[in-house]
Amino acid sequence: MRARVNKLDARLHSVEHGVFTSDLHDERNAALLGTALGVTFTICFVTGLYSHYAQHPPSWFLLPSRPAGLYRVTQGLHVATGLASIPLLLAKLWTVYPKLFQWPAFNSVAHALERIAIFPLVAGSLFLVFTGLANINLWYPWKFYFPVAHYWAAWTTIGALIVHIGAKWTVTRQQLRPTRSTPGAPKSAADVLTARDLDRRRFLATVFGTSALVTLFTVGQTVRSLRKLALLAPRRPDIGVQGFPVNQTAGMAGVMHAAASPHYRLVVTGNVRNPLSLTLDDLRALPQRSATLPIACVEGWSTSQQWTGIPVRDLLRMAVAPPHASVHVMSLEAPQRLYSTSELNHWQAHDADTLLALRVNGQDLALDHGYPLRLIGPDRPGVMQTKWVTQLVVR
Amino acid sequence: MNGEHETTSVVFWSLLAVGGALTIYGLHGLLNALGGITGHQFLEWFVGADIAHDALVAPAACVVGFAIARLVPAPARAHVRAGIFASAIVVAIAWAPLHAYGHANAAGNSSVEPLNYATAVPTVLVAVWALTAGWFAVTAFRRRNQSRGAEQPAPRPDQRA
Repeated sequence: MRARVNKLDARLHSVEHGVFTSDLHDERNAALLGTALGVTFTICFVTGLYSHYAQHPPSWFLLPSRPAGLYRVTQGLHVATGLASIPLLLAKLWTVYPKLFQWPAFNSVAHALERIAIFPLVAGSLFLVFTGLANINLWYPWKFYFPVAHYWAAWTTIGALIVHIGAKWTVTRQQLRPTRSTPGAPKSAADVLTARDLDRRRFLATVFGTSALVTLFTVGQTVRSLRKLALLAPRRPDIGVQGFPVNQTAGMAGVMHAAASPHYRLVVTGNVRNPLSLTLDDLRALPQRSATLPIACVEGWSTSQQWTGIPVRDLLRMAVAPPHASVHVMSLEAPQRLYSTSELNHWQAHDADTLLALRVNGQDLALDHGYPLRLIGPDRPGVMQTKWVTQLVVR
Repeated sequence: MNGEHETTSVVFWSLLAVGGALTIYGLHGLLNALGGITGHQFLEWFVGADIAHDALVAPAACVVGFAIARLVPAPARAHVRAGIFASAIVVAIAWAPLHAYGHANAAGNSSVEPLNYATAVPTVLVAVWALTAGWFAVTAFRRRNQSRGAEQPAPRPDQRA
């Protein structure tokens, strides 16, 4: 038994030190790539949390309605940073791959805890970037609900990342310390670039350059000026019905007949003194307001359009709603469908630019964009810009 | 990976407490949110991602690195490595649009994966290899200039400006 253990010991030692001979598997590369990943994962976590709270606001959180493009920026950043993390993550995992065969597996309690935390960190990181990438393509080769799994996996991963930062704090600081002497001082040995330094620089240039390329070829799905370069992006902000994308079509939502029906009405009800029931002609006859607002989707694409319609606050005034009313917005979609309703908190409901839009860019809304009436408001996730609106329930 | 120097660190134990709590919070949330079959599936994907990487992706990358070291002349190794790495990432990111996977969940929605990715992806790959070739050319040019400079004899003190 002892002989077998010694044999395994020797084999693992030779794998770690004999097979992986490249100098690129060193602590400095690991520290540099790890630091970059620490930054990108933190950005993804914070922006993802913002998106989650925007869609599922806890009692202590009221999503502000200004600045109007905040959600567009945070979610665009979330997806762009997630995509840019893919080369960084794979390069980092390759750099530290020999450590997988480290033997003995641990040499102290702290070391054991550190190594245990690496499993949720690696598994979680790979899971998050892969499921995120699939989600922006609307591709779901699994049965679990993506937002829930992605959200909780993010907590697990960020926790494991914090443990890892603690474990690598000293070594990372050592590795990131500049080795060059001050300008003007005579050249020392540290100033001369070795072949190893040169190879490291080229390796890091490859990894960070690939991240930059990925960004360049995808970020046009939210940065309109770069849209023609968005060759790898699953969306283009200028392609779709009426010149911009759609997530859910009227056919998919099952509202084709109800939305086009002559019996369509918008009902304003709930905590109001003057309930309303308005036909499409009634709505068209009301004072209209135009606003240029973005639709920003959780999948990372976004686009600004000029919307024209009735401010929600005008309808609340007509219905004699309380001054701090919030609003439950209901669609023609079947109530059990996901995102068939949304909430307007009192800031959003009373923002002058929160509209029930009838038109976009001077045209009647297309069915796929929510004809006859859709909600569009500043700083809201796209899934909460409810389409085919039929009822406002005032609270 | 060696944690010896960290075992007495306040930073390590403090961040272990904070990070450990968040990890447990996440796992608790997962257990509550994903029950039954979908929980099983989640575990398959979560653990499977790690295994797929450690057993397939990383060894494949090592084999490619080994092949580059054996087959490509030293001056071009870093550049070929860069081109292959960037190409692999591009193909991985474009895999779903290339196979039009999103169309299955968005029937009749022409704005999902709207480009001809069979031409878009090769276009990006051409750009990747053009950049790689440009980088190699610049490196080779610099190397030649340096070696020429090294061959020239140092000027005598009376010839210096």
